Amino acid sequence: MTANPHTEATRRDPADWIDGLLLRDSSQAADYIADSGFTARVMEQLPAARALPAWRRPAIIALWLVAAALAAIALPGVAVDVARATYRVFAALPFSLSSLAFAIVALGAATWTAAVFALKRA
Amino acid sequence: MAAKAAPPEISDAQLIARCLVGDDRHAFAELVKRHQSPVRACLRKLTAGNHALADDLAQDTFVLAWRNLKSFRQEARFSTWLYRIATNCWLAHARKRREELLGDRDDELPEGAADSDVGETSTADHAAGTTMKIDLERAMATLSDAERAAIVQCYHNDLSHEEAAYVLGCPVGTVKTHVLRGKQKLARALAAWAPRPAQ
Repeated sequence: MTANPHTEATRRDPADWIDGLLLRDSSQAADYIADSGFTARVMEQLPAARALPAWRRPAIIALWLVAAALAAIALPGVAVDVARATYRVFAALPFSLSSLAFAIVALGAATWTAAVFALKRA
Repeated sequence: MAAKAAPPEISDAQLIARCLVGDDRHAFAELVKRHQSPVRACLRKLTAGNHALADDLAQDTFVLAWRNLKSFRQEARFSTWLYRIATNCWLAHARKRREELLGDRDDELPEGAADSDVGETSTADHAAGTTMKIDLERAMATLSDAERAAIVQCYHNDLSHEEAAYVLGCPVGTVKTHVLRGKQKLARALAAWAPRPAQ
């Protein structure tokens, strides 16, 4: 154990024989105490490991599918519009600026959703 | 006596992160191995040499540390945080024991009695080192819980007053007062060991 110079001066008066006695006693007691099974006993007493329920993963996938289905039902034209806009972009067909913006926004949303999903899994 | 372990390759902070993120029990076992010796030694001092009780309290300390690892904010060293838990475990135990003994005051040593008891054992024909150790342990047992805890933290654990204040959960000034009062009581109880003034 190293001495603590920060408080050494304020704490320990060299003239105080009790200081010397306490310091001598603490240096004698600083020997390493062998583990002798102590760690194993502690580990046995720890609460049981958190077990993730088996149904958790399928439940999450099902929730995502339900959310996707609900979105598709609520906004029926979105998927078709995105597909058309994407086709026009890639097929170099004449397209409007608004449809390009719409495609970019849709692609961005899809990317972010995938990233969030991947990060959560990681 | 086993040799001290080699310096750790992985820091305490990394092991704690593994425990928190991955519920990694091997990482926690490594932390226990690293810190069991100082924590047990501290509790042996606080319990006035009762090794069995000290080890029981040390086990409770590490189990509590595992349960509350999320609340460790790295504002102090991990070892200091463990001392804090250990001291709280010991204080809780001491409080419980005092409640059990309530009404049976004969078991408690009156402050003045310590002087005569210690004085009787400290005769010159004893093996000086061993007798001194025993006398010191007995004298420490006569201190109040707060005084004993303050002295153990500042001397035995070699903590600064600020660190001791964190461990004991009280202001720095209170720690200094407890240390001073504790030392005065020890000086009275161990008066027979005081160095004789030069002739």
